[in-house]
Amino acid sequence: MRALILSTVALATLAVAAPALADDAKPLAGKSITVLLPSPQAPNIAADFEKDTGIHVDLQTLSWDDIRPKLVTALIAGTAPADVTEFDWSWTGQFAAADWYLPLNDVIDKDTVADIGVAKIFTVNGNLLGVPYTNDFRVMLVNKKHFADAGITKMPTTLDELVADAKQIKAKGITQYPIGLPLSPTEGASTSWYLLTKAEGGDLFDKDWKPLFLTPDSAGYKAMALELQLLKDGLVDPASTGLKDSQINDNYFAKGLVSIMISGEPGRLGQFNDPKQSQVAGQVAAILVPTASGQTRSYGLPEALGVPRVSQNQDAAIAFVKWFTSKHFQIENYANGVLPTRTSALDELNKAGKLASGDVLVAQSKTVEPLFEQGTPTWYPQFSSAVNTAINAVAKGQITVDQAMKNIADATQKAMTQ
Amino acid sequence: MTAVAFQGTDARRRAAGNGDALLGVLMVAPIVVTMVALVFFPLAQTVWDSLHRINPMEPGTPFIGAANYTNMLSDAQLGQSWVNTFIYVAIAVSVETIVGVLGAALINQVRRGRQWLLAAVVLPWALPGVVNAVIWMWIYQPGAGLLNGILTVFGLPFENHVWFNDRTSALIAVSVVHIWRMLPLTIVVVLAAMQSIPGHLYEAARIDGASRPQMFFAITLPLVRGAIAVAMTNATVAAFNLFDEAWVLAGASLDTRPVLTQIYLETFQNLHFSYGMALSLVVTIVSLLVSLVFVWRVYHTTRFE
Repeated sequence: MRALILSTVALATLAVAAPALADDAKPLAGKSITVLLPSPQAPNIAADFEKDTGIHVDLQTLSWDDIRPKLVTALIAGTAPADVTEFDWSWTGQFAAADWYLPLNDVIDKDTVADIGVAKIFTVNGNLLGVPYTNDFRVMLVNKKHFADAGITKMPTTLDELVADAKQIKAKGITQYPIGLPLSPTEGASTSWYLLTKAEGGDLFDKDWKPLFLTPDSAGYKAMALELQLLKDGLVDPASTGLKDSQINDNYFAKGLVSIMISGEPGRLGQFNDPKQSQVAGQVAAILVPTASGQTRSYGLPEALGVPRVSQNQDAAIAFVKWFTSKHFQIENYANGVLPTRTSALDELNKAGKLASGDVLVAQSKTVEPLFEQGTPTWYPQFSSAVNTAINAVAKGQITVDQAMKNIADATQKAMTQ
Repeated sequence: MTAVAFQGTDARRRAAGNGDALLGVLMVAPIVVTMVALVFFPLAQTVWDSLHRINPMEPGTPFIGAANYTNMLSDAQLGQSWVNTFIYVAIAVSVETIVGVLGAALINQVRRGRQWLLAAVVLPWALPGVVNAVIWMWIYQPGAGLLNGILTVFGLPFENHVWFNDRTSALIAVSVVHIWRMLPLTIVVVLAAMQSIPGHLYEAARIDGASRPQMFFAITLPLVRGAIAVAMTNATVAAFNLFDEAWVLAGASLDTRPVLTQIYLETFQNLHFSYGMALSLVVTIVSLLVSLVFVWRVYHTTRFE
């Protein structure tokens, strides 16, 4: 009888205490947040997060280009576009100046910041404005089969070798236009030129924001001249003047119509080697960015998650940021083409043999530099727009490389003074 | 007694008059309130804001007078986008008017199945601008595009022709897509006017021995002038507001960039909000001024003296 009474009391105590314990484990359970990210995203994100935290997520996705206008429109009006939003590296200068995002220094632990090296790109005046979740930097993506079919056994390490290999692939009739290079007035054309400028051994600006691309012997000038030469030599499709980088990736490289993506995105390796999404599965690999000197260089274009100051659900929003950038989720999310920003996650994936071209990615990630040493300037959008407009005009034969460089410098100067 | 009766009638009339006036005010009030709230107040606010510096990256919103307007004079990209816009307006308004009137005259001759024909003609106008532009993007595509394919079939060297690599062909290509979308509206407006022309006028002309072209120029065209002016006004405003087609087909390319794209870039890319507002106001004024010519024409064509 005594045992019966004791077990009944114990069960009753457990029944009363269990919900309280559950509440301690999920203190924000029952809350609801909105999240705005670029498409595509894994379909299970909202369900998995709710399972782990009890917080309901309304996940909205838009094409990358459409996110910024939505953010700006809402933020200028003093409303939150979502509780957690995409925060691209190129917006850092403007968004920091506008003071639209919540500094996350106090809520993101130091170990996380240390593990995510590219977090410093989102740190302005000591304020961490976004936690990077996708480790975008540039490598070169090649179709190994095309190289092998052309009789090329050694991957290029210099720009001269790269051009020679592309000519050989074309000469063998493997692809009509071996090199994928966007020349449209879009961000992808700008980022390709930045990479080639680095590859030519230079930078865009000095420490006083003085342009370093105006003289014919400068790296930026040579990079633009190289782009034009590739076009003239028939190594780049003339239709590239109207193509975004994503279109070249999806419609040309993934279909085997292009052999080399000059400004390759490591996160796309999974897509290219997936037979459901690509006709060249098993043929694609990353190589270190060839340069004029043979010493590889690259730069980072990471994307982060940020919490607008006007978010009404900041606690739950921060919980989502932590969950989404955790090592566990980053490793899981690699299957969806999102390269981890945590060094520990990258290492673990590589050791497990799950990281496609893992050794190359790890080696290239160690060479990643910020595009602007002083941090992304507030006038970056005008600069980028001037760059891709100039590239587009050069490719169409409307202006010379010399005029293009002057146009970019003039537009930048004007943007700086506005 | 009579005087009292008259006084009573006057009072009733005054009361009835006041009642009518009140009813009139009540009936007009919703549209007045709506217009003030959704048109005139935002317009006045935009005018006021355009005289300030509104840039979220800079503190405060100081009054800067007409600086946003004077800055337009030294904006080279804006100059180019204005030129592109005026080219679009010239091409779109002239083609839509000429082809629209001819198309309406043609459809007006159809006796059986006119409603089905009209439904088919109206389809591009019913589709969103972006959808139309995406369809035409496939048509213009250099490799597998329909246009190059057709030209190649006829033995012309257009296999990999890139239509947007040349400014002239790019401007025409964008204009064609815009015309494709807006032409049906011109046809519908003019067709409605044509159908209201009394048949006996044509019968009388026929008895007098008039030919079809003579009837068209002597009867049809004069009697649909008002409708044509309305259609031209609409075409002008739509061409000044061209955005979707240029953006989808050629992005921010300076070759095809209309002034609305420039406003978008200044506002949402560069965060120069008050400059964008000033630009929007100037576009509105220019668009209204050009349209005013057609409205003035309508007034003189249709006024009753």
